Amino acid sequence: MPPHAAIRTEGLTKDFGGGHGVFALDLEVERGEIFGFLGPNGAGKSTTMRMLLDLIRPTSGSATVLGLDTHRDSLELRHRVGFLPGDFELYPKLTGREVLDFFAALNGGVDRRVLDDLVERFDAQLDRPVHDLSTGNRQKLGIVQAFMHEPECLILDEPIAGIDPLVQHSFHALLEEVAAEGRTVFLSSHTLSEVERVAKRIAILRRGRLVVVDTVADLLQVARQRYDIEFGATAPAADALRSVEGVEEVDGDGPRLVVSFTGAPDPLIKAIAAYDVRSLRSHDADLEEVFLRYYRDEGAA
Amino acid sequence: MSGAVFATTLRLRLMTAVLAGVGMLAVILMVGALFPSVGDSIGKLNVPDGVANLLGGADYGTITGWMRSEIGAIYGPLVIAASAIAAAAATTAGEEESGILGLVLAHPVARGRVMLAKGGAVAVVVVIVAAGTWLGLLAGVAAAGGGISLADMTALAVQLACFGFTFGALALALAGITGRKAVAAAGAGSFGVLAFLVNGFAPLVDGLDWLKYLSPFYWYAGHDPLTNGLFVGGLVVLLVTTAVLVVVAVVGFGHRDLRA
Repeated sequence: MPPHAAIRTEGLTKDFGGGHGVFALDLEVERGEIFGFLGPNGAGKSTTMRMLLDLIRPTSGSATVLGLDTHRDSLELRHRVGFLPGDFELYPKLTGREVLDFFAALNGGVDRRVLDDLVERFDAQLDRPVHDLSTGNRQKLGIVQAFMHEPECLILDEPIAGIDPLVQHSFHALLEEVAAEGRTVFLSSHTLSEVERVAKRIAILRRGRLVVVDTVADLLQVARQRYDIEFGATAPAADALRSVEGVEEVDGDGPRLVVSFTGAPDPLIKAIAAYDVRSLRSHDADLEEVFLRYYRDEGAA
Repeated sequence: MSGAVFATTLRLRLMTAVLAGVGMLAVILMVGALFPSVGDSIGKLNVPDGVANLLGGADYGTITGWMRSEIGAIYGPLVIAASAIAAAAATTAGEEESGILGLVLAHPVARGRVMLAKGGAVAVVVVIVAAGTWLGLLAGVAAAGGGISLADMTALAVQLACFGFTFGALALALAGITGRKAVAAAGAGSFGVLAFLVNGFAPLVDGLDWLKYLSPFYWYAGHDPLTNGLFVGGLVVLLVTTAVLVVVAVVGFGHRDLRA
């Protein structure tokens, strides 16, 4: 394997003015990983991806994909990268087959078996003109064209938008296979649940700036957990629990309390051990909550 | 130029182009068929020089004057420029605005080669319309009882084709620089109207006669191809202008952000 990262950006900036764009983005995606690129709509995810494909050019900074400069080596880069834009259109009068043949020709031909396999997996409609297809069926053609030339790196902007859960399942299976072959997937979404299942690492982008890059596992560790506790004869005052280390929020009063906390549960458990605990139910750490916290900061920033 | 882009673009524009060519043929044939009964009775119109200039002489008494005024002066250039501008604007800026080019250019094909392929397809559209004009002249003049030589009819069609190339290339250049279909179509169309008026009126104003040299209409038919045959100088000016505009289109398209 060559030494360079699958994707590396250095101070990558696209300033659209008025605070819009992407600013000083430093990001590194390793080869063979599935990397989730998250952020609310308008955070700059698509802008970043379009810069990687040389569709738009950075105001400053630079980026490489597979060690290739996004502008100088764009042709070779595009040969080795598959891209699914978040918003795209296909020639409406062409059939699915004609559209795929066209893209195959642009790539100097593709392996027929790979193409047929993809078409079969996603049950892509090939015989009807694109303008007759539903959004989901168009999206399937978009997915097939991104994968059909067996690219080493896939840049996918909101790939499962508009496709049904069954197809999403085959799509995620495909991503796992691709990553297992050492190929890289860079995947954007505005909802966490879409990437949580497949991505090992994620980055969150907000207002064009990177707010966090971490593994899903580490993010879960700092995520808030929640206990529903029901007390019997003796119960602590809600205020008493609020001062316990790690506790962030206590809801309810009297015998039933909902306690949210971060980190290890030990201090909380010791604090309630003095009382009559009837039941204790734990809720799994919710990554969505971490995620929303980063999003919500947007208003405060 | 990218063969795949050229073939796909042409395929999608072919029907429209063939219809425009066939329409041109049919109209010219009808115009020719009307000449024996109508042309003689109109004769040479007694109109101001400016109007006569715009109408290609307004001499309806001869088949040459009739075709020059009915087809050569307005209808022919209008249809071929409109076909070229529509094809050029739709297949470049139009596809860009709708999000088609954003996906095409995610594949390994250089922007310059895409633009040249679009230019090639537009050129074929223009040739189809010019061929319709040529066949229409052959049929129409025959229906009128003859009177224009094959060489002169061919000359008009060739001059017209080069005129069409220029307007297609102008629309490509505007699309290449701006990426906006409306700018490409309206810009090239407005220039066409302006060029038509300048070519007609400039020669009537002392000191402004030279303005006609800025008009593609002058280089297309200023020397009257239906009478005098090919005007090589005119063809050179139109083709060089076309080439320069295509270069502008390629460079403009290569040096900016894609719009969608």
